[in-house]
Amino acid sequence: MNRRALTGLGIVSRLGVGKDFLDEGLRKKETPPYLPIESFDATKYATPHVYEVPSFDAKKYLGDKGLRSLDRLTKLMVVASRLALHDAGLKKDGEFVGLAGDRIGFCCSNAYGMLEAATELDRVAKLEDVRYINPAKFPNTVANSASGYVSIWEDLRAINVTVSDGNCGALDAVACADIYIDSARADVILVGGAEAMTEALYVAFQKLGVLDLGASIGEAAVFMAYESVDTAKKRGAKILAEVIGYGTSFVAPDDERLIFASGEAMVRAIRGALEDAKLTPNDVDLVASGISGLRDFDDTELRAIRTVLPDVAIAAPKQHFGDTLGASGAVGMAAAITWFAGTPPVLHLGAAPKKLKRVLVTTLGYYGNASALLLERSE
Amino acid sequence: MSLPRVFISGLGVVSSIGLGKDEFFRSLETGKSGVSTVESFDASNLGRSLAGEVKAFSARDHLTRAEMHRTGRCAQMTLAAARMAVNDAAFKNEELKGGRTAVVLGTTMGEANVFAELDERWIRRGEEALPRALLPKYGSTLLPIHVARAIGAEGMVLTLPAACAAGNYAIGFAADMIRSGRADRVITGASELLQELQFNGFVRLAAMAPERCQPFDLNRQGLILGEGAGIVVLESEASLVRRGARPHAEVGGYGLSCDGYHITRPRPDAAGSIVAMQDALRYSGITSNDVDFVNAHGTGTRANDAAEAKVMMEVFGDRRVPISSVKSMIGHCMGASSALEAIACVMTIETGIYPPTIGFETPDPECNLDIVANVARRGKADIVLNNSLAFGGYNAVTCFARPGVLPPPERLPTAA
Repeated sequence: MNRRALTGLGIVSRLGVGKDFLDEGLRKKETPPYLPIESFDATKYATPHVYEVPSFDAKKYLGDKGLRSLDRLTKLMVVASRLALHDAGLKKDGEFVGLAGDRIGFCCSNAYGMLEAATELDRVAKLEDVRYINPAKFPNTVANSASGYVSIWEDLRAINVTVSDGNCGALDAVACADIYIDSARADVILVGGAEAMTEALYVAFQKLGVLDLGASIGEAAVFMAYESVDTAKKRGAKILAEVIGYGTSFVAPDDERLIFASGEAMVRAIRGALEDAKLTPNDVDLVASGISGLRDFDDTELRAIRTVLPDVAIAAPKQHFGDTLGASGAVGMAAAITWFAGTPPVLHLGAAPKKLKRVLVTTLGYYGNASALLLERSE
Repeated sequence: MSLPRVFISGLGVVSSIGLGKDEFFRSLETGKSGVSTVESFDASNLGRSLAGEVKAFSARDHLTRAEMHRTGRCAQMTLAAARMAVNDAAFKNEELKGGRTAVVLGTTMGEANVFAELDERWIRRGEEALPRALLPKYGSTLLPIHVARAIGAEGMVLTLPAACAAGNYAIGFAADMIRSGRADRVITGASELLQELQFNGFVRLAAMAPERCQPFDLNRQGLILGEGAGIVVLESEASLVRRGARPHAEVGGYGLSCDGYHITRPRPDAAGSIVAMQDALRYSGITSNDVDFVNAHGTGTRANDAAEAKVMMEVFGDRRVPISSVKSMIGHCMGASSALEAIACVMTIETGIYPPTIGFETPDPECNLDIVANVARRGKADIVLNNSLAFGGYNAVTCFARPGVLPPPERLPTAA
């Protein structure tokens, strides 16, 4: 991976809409309170372990035209993208500055984005009649639809890519964007991930027992402007952090299990990120881990981190956001950017680092996959 | 600066007109249609009941009992096609094992039948009836995981859900992974299964033809859906030489763009699609004069075929390059379509045969192209383009070539 700059951050999460909420939210040692679920009627469900974007009203940010056929994921993504473009100085008051839309790409991780539309349209077909399926909503059953809408709303016409690798996807999206920048397919790529709350997602995680084990699921859309350091400097953009290394691995289990936490994959991903950045374990000051409250997965991830980085301080950004699945790696990156800007990290393990030069973001997948990304404070 | 060359060394196909590359291409060559009445769900009351459904595929012939247990039908087709591709590439035991092999696959909805089964139970019997063991089988993330497990790959496992351009997206990205040194071998391609919800959706979009898919015909009435899996093995030149393997074709450059115009319709001026095709040429180091044949996206809808004709006229000018759409035979296999069509392109390079566009009767003045109508044609096939468009305003074009024909791949300073 080449050294790249992150120059703008747009985030929509449990902590609020926009990055201004991050400093206050990430300082708090206690997890945010659970609020009543807004995205679906949850009155019959017992476990409220869900972090939605509170009182999210897309009209406030996008106006009231053209929203009717968009699902919640699309609205979260368009708002976060718009915020990122403005924060990066790529747009001002809605107009492009410097670069045109055909030089700006979009690369987004998402794991379960089509569930809202698929379950809604499936119910129309099964309980009413196929003839009542709203054709304007049918495209939302396609996983890349929300990314396509971002390109329409924000006029981004270079590459537009959705990636899916569960909760490792957002870090993988950065690796993809690196290849697309490397091959000159865009000058800047909005990179990150998004996940929206839906009843289907909630029911699935509750049924799997995840929510009873102490984990929370959350929704978020997080995008960062990703570009070469040269491009950022030429544009006069403020560099929030630099991306300097990436590693990923998949290791199959010895048995027939499907769900599987692979410590070996996590170790290889971390080592891969360090090798990629040509750094040693001592060069990492803090880990933004993916630990979420699922004991088996958390223990595996912590052991893997400790195997490579025995003394490093470890934070758990998901305590502030919930497990945002396709967005989770991007949430870790947003936390790192906020810490680089001076917000003290809430630590899960270890002593506060004396300096905060480099943060490793880790994500452990449910199927034996793992990814890691190394960020550096910009001087 | 030169970059490593990337080759295709293995091909695997699950399709409505045959399993394996040879049966698939023999059927294409002879203009065999895989379109028949849908049997996997009741489509009798929808006014549309035909699709290129895969009926001769038995997963048990290709998968272990344990693999059968943890996969849905989409992953089963994927895994079977991946095994065919790996066998075709003649890898010896354990050669694919380790972190230098990645798996990057495209799809639109992945395990859509697992979703459908879960949702059916939820609708009819409530969330209590959801079987816990079935839940983890859902998710497009899983397709590359199943393949990686089967072959011992331990590098990146990634799904690119790029709708009907997913195959081209995956193959292009996989080639760039190898060119940039991030992998030596990538198992790539795409898969899709025919599922009721999608079928219903296309009916409601009024995009489906009642009887035949007739790309570029004046009286075309729309698309016919299909399903299948097309998997290819991409390999660096160094890896091929090391194991003394023979490549089917070289992967050239590719072009991607996004219309930013409409979520389902292509831009009427086809501007994004034109950029994607021009980029595929530029990244391959060639001009439009070098192209021998174009595999069309060719869905048979009015808007798609007209836009595609504009692309051909803009990119090739007065030069009438032969173009054909295999969707006339296998239907529109959505996420899998551009992967299956990439395999058809590679077979065209190997055989010098352009597959026909069947059902072509009346030329459309708006699509004034050299269509390979109804009967396969022999011709020069050194360099072939594979065009695709997709929901989301996606445009993706890949280039494939006879080994030794393309100039060495170069790093481009800027794309514009």
